[in-house]
Amino acid sequence: MSGAVNRAAIVDRLFMDTVRQLVPGPRRDDLDTPVRPGTTLSARQALALFEVQVESRHCDFAARDLKTRGEGFYTIGSAGHEGNAAVAAALRPTDPAFLHYRSGGFFLARAQQAGGPSGAFDVLRGCCAAADEPIAGGRHKVFGSVELNVPPQTSTIASHLPKAVGHAVALDRRARWEGRVEDRVVACTFGDASANHATAQAALNTAGWTTYQRVPCPVLFVCEDNGLGISVRTPQGWTAANLRNRVGIHYVYGDGLDLPHAWDAARLAVAHVRKTRTPALLHLRTVRMLGHAGSDVEQLYRSDDEISASEASDPLLATARLLVEQGVLTPDEVLALYEDTRARLGALAGEAARRPRLQTAAEVMAPLFVHDAEKVHNHVAIAPDAERARIFPRGLPEDSDRGRPLAFQLNRALHDVLAADSGAIVFGEDVARKGGVYHVTAGLIDAFGVGRVFNTLLDETSILGLALGAAQAGLLPIAEIQYLAYLMNAVDQLRGEAGSLQFFSNAQLANPMVVRIASLAYQKGFGGHFHNDNGIAAVREIPGVLIGCPARGDDAARMLRTMVSAARTCGRVCVMLEPIALYHTKDLHEDGDGAWLTTYPSPRESLPVGEVGVYGEGTDACIVTYGNGLWMSLRVAERLRRNGVDVRVIDLRWLAPLPHDAVAAHARAAGRVVIVDECRASSGVADTLAAELHERTGGSVPIRRVVAPDTYIPLGAAANLVLVSETDIELAVRDIVGEGA
Amino acid sequence: MRALVVCPGRGSYGRGTLGILQDRSPEAAAVIDACDGWRQDHGRTLLRHLDAEPAFRGSLHVAGQHASLLTFAASLADLAELDRERLEVVGVVGNSLGWYTALAAAGALPLEDAVELVDTMGHYQADGALGVQVMTALVGGDGQPDPELRQAVDDAIAAARLVGAGAWWSIDLGSHAVIGADSEGARVLEERLPKLTRGERTFPVRLPLHSAFHTPLLEPTSARAREDLAHLGFRAPDVPLIDGRGMVFRPRWADPEALRDYTLGHQVTRPFDFHRALVTALHHTGPDVIVLLGPGNSLGGPSSRILLWEGWGGCRTREQLDARQATDPLLLSFGVSLQRQRLVRPT
Repeated sequence: MSGAVNRAAIVDRLFMDTVRQLVPGPRRDDLDTPVRPGTTLSARQALALFEVQVESRHCDFAARDLKTRGEGFYTIGSAGHEGNAAVAAALRPTDPAFLHYRSGGFFLARAQQAGGPSGAFDVLRGCCAAADEPIAGGRHKVFGSVELNVPPQTSTIASHLPKAVGHAVALDRRARWEGRVEDRVVACTFGDASANHATAQAALNTAGWTTYQRVPCPVLFVCEDNGLGISVRTPQGWTAANLRNRVGIHYVYGDGLDLPHAWDAARLAVAHVRKTRTPALLHLRTVRMLGHAGSDVEQLYRSDDEISASEASDPLLATARLLVEQGVLTPDEVLALYEDTRARLGALAGEAARRPRLQTAAEVMAPLFVHDAEKVHNHVAIAPDAERARIFPRGLPEDSDRGRPLAFQLNRALHDVLAADSGAIVFGEDVARKGGVYHVTAGLIDAFGVGRVFNTLLDETSILGLALGAAQAGLLPIAEIQYLAYLMNAVDQLRGEAGSLQFFSNAQLANPMVVRIASLAYQKGFGGHFHNDNGIAAVREIPGVLIGCPARGDDAARMLRTMVSAARTCGRVCVMLEPIALYHTKDLHEDGDGAWLTTYPSPRESLPVGEVGVYGEGTDACIVTYGNGLWMSLRVAERLRRNGVDVRVIDLRWLAPLPHDAVAAHARAAGRVVIVDECRASSGVADTLAAELHERTGGSVPIRRVVAPDTYIPLGAAANLVLVSETDIELAVRDIVGEGA
Repeated sequence: MRALVVCPGRGSYGRGTLGILQDRSPEAAAVIDACDGWRQDHGRTLLRHLDAEPAFRGSLHVAGQHASLLTFAASLADLAELDRERLEVVGVVGNSLGWYTALAAAGALPLEDAVELVDTMGHYQADGALGVQVMTALVGGDGQPDPELRQAVDDAIAAARLVGAGAWWSIDLGSHAVIGADSEGARVLEERLPKLTRGERTFPVRLPLHSAFHTPLLEPTSARAREDLAHLGFRAPDVPLIDGRGMVFRPRWADPEALRDYTLGHQVTRPFDFHRALVTALHHTGPDVIVLLGPGNSLGGPSSRILLWEGWGGCRTREQLDARQATDPLLLSFGVSLQRQRLVRPT
């Protein structure tokens, strides 16, 4: 750390020493002409941006001072990247901007552009994890502001790019429906190293794919290229070679070490996006100064000459030189600004350090699980009768007493949701004309058109990115992931992005959505692992996400309504795990009994989070289960009943948060519990349920778990060898009942 | 110490401040001379004479054509006596008329031009006020913001509008609201606004001889000023200057035309949000101390409340602020004699 701190002192001194020696050009008073011939950047704009650049640099210094004093907790800075201030200036404050962690100059420039306070105090409060920091409330140091249209990002790996693309697509799509002309540009910044990330590549590809089909996608990618990913050098010329010839993406190079050049390039790139509604990529040259972070000892992997060369390319020095040589400022005026800013930010840092911090776990988590059950219940929307008559031409589904399977009822419920909420959109692979692999979305495109029901490209990252971006545009995305196993390549879009937005914005921003995932196993040997995946840990470990797993058609319809309402009223990210094997199941105990078919519940009915399904009042044992486990457990319970064992079966329905209260109540009533969890042992909910139940009952209720082994699922009949079976369930119940007798 | 300078509005020159322009330091006298020089040239009663009246007379001293420049002169006279060796001015903010003072204090307008601006705007009111201003409280008895009182203001304004009367937010002081209205609007406001007692004051109260500044009723005044005062020499300020929208005019590059446009346009006809302005000033400039210029101490209460709400300087309770004031004051007012001693240059 000492090495990095020393570099800060060297950079600081180098700036002052160099400025002192600059030879001023003839004094000029007209600030509204180009700061130098050949640029469109005026001297007044250059002065304003220089102020921001200096401010950003002193934020970096102050952050390190705070860290040294034990008052700050974040030292990744923007030194060397301050040219990105020009990008902000070329945009409008109303253009949404998703910024990475070296875009301090951009953030401060946008604050300046908006006219209010400088934004430095917010940045410094972020460094101190102050509870009154206006965006994250002390939960992280992020560049973010509701007022400035900068949604907070934590991304170090370009995971915000898919959402920027999705937001761009959604803004224009929404405007078209509303008969408006949209002229906003969505900007996102990222580093040259993270440009190689799969997520970045996905976003670039999707932007190109979208544009190739002439669908508007007004996104500005800004790659801030400092040639380093922590210690790893980007090969000379790679970034340009990689990014220059992307299909559908207009490439512009800007020199972030030369403010007028950066400005002119940014202006051209922004103008292209704003006018054509197609993407542009601004490749902005920068250098990295002061190491990766305050704790990074750069000398371990860079020679002194290399480090010095970066420092000599300091963009602040370049702007200072420009302003002095062009007679806009004298060296003394530059130094006065520099020192005034140091003093100002030093004072603000001191004030930031005095601010209160988060004091309790409850305070930390307050924005994480925003759920108002009453509001959710009351907000279930129904379309006007005429609209429902249009989408259900054969009569209203609730008027029919004919039982239907899960997929059918879910399809009806989706019709109702789209009819009631004009902002709801359905998308995913094959969801449009094909109606989804399992026909859950059949007919939606006919009822609501391709604007609201559409196929995406085959990339889950981009599907979820679109969901994120659409949600932030005020739409209600209902995304379909074709199979649970396919979610895994994209799960960070839920985990790092969707799930975290309320947390990192102190609940000021949300990306409400419903993600439907065809899930779980029991497809009679077909499909192998990737169509039978029974691992849900990656979803259920995401803080704050609402997860439901309906087993029956009526539950599915009601749970979908709950999720849509929770998304709309509370900003919730909802995941519906839909058991593929039950989509079209009709019978329960015997072939032809039709006992798994249900009628369509009244469109006003939702299913409250935490409400379990209760089957029987048996007091010999209680089976706690969900999904396919419910179907199997009910069959087992019936057989046991005939043998004099009276078992009640509880359907969890909600897997996050788990309905522990209801489970405990039934466990106490029945005295013995068998948890039937069709998921892999290390992935499912059985362990959590058992542990919680044990703690709540003080070990007084015997518990057995029936879970699948930790394995991938094989093809063919061998699949049954590794899935929970009715025999397993029955043996477990008999075992626990025998033990307790 | 980093000092944020706050310039008060017109209501500050009152009974208790009569005589404040007498026997001042040479620096302060120079400011008063500049004002009286202008008054002399235009055949108007000299400030020194008004200030030397044997008794305060509302009809005389509160009238816009006198009170405006009296307030301005008293404020800038205080600033002229500020001990700048100890207190470095790092930003300037004003309230209402105090914006004009702030322009001069921050160097965004030469003194002579600022005098002309203030006295011209003041004299526009010599023929009678345009509309009225009604003031009410926005805090409960405990000094904390009461959202219901704020709602009551919105509701009263809406009620006035419903019957075709004019009523608009004029000034948001955080702790108090000033509402501008036409006569019918004022009647509705006084009927609708809850009757409140805060300390020794009762609300709502009508501000005597105050036009409905910061409302559309002043559109004609704005238009007239744009014509009469087009020649004023606005320039970028020497220190950050924060306006009634919470916008910061920055040294070196602030656009003079934007300053002119705000001063003669928005500032005259749109609400003045002092609360936002002060918070912006704190967040932008990082002051160690907030210096309230005289006359009087009308902004002392609102400012201290805003500091508390902000938790500035680590003071989050009245007790903490009082303790801080006793040792290392966060808020110093020229209008409070003991505090004044800590502000003025030693003689």
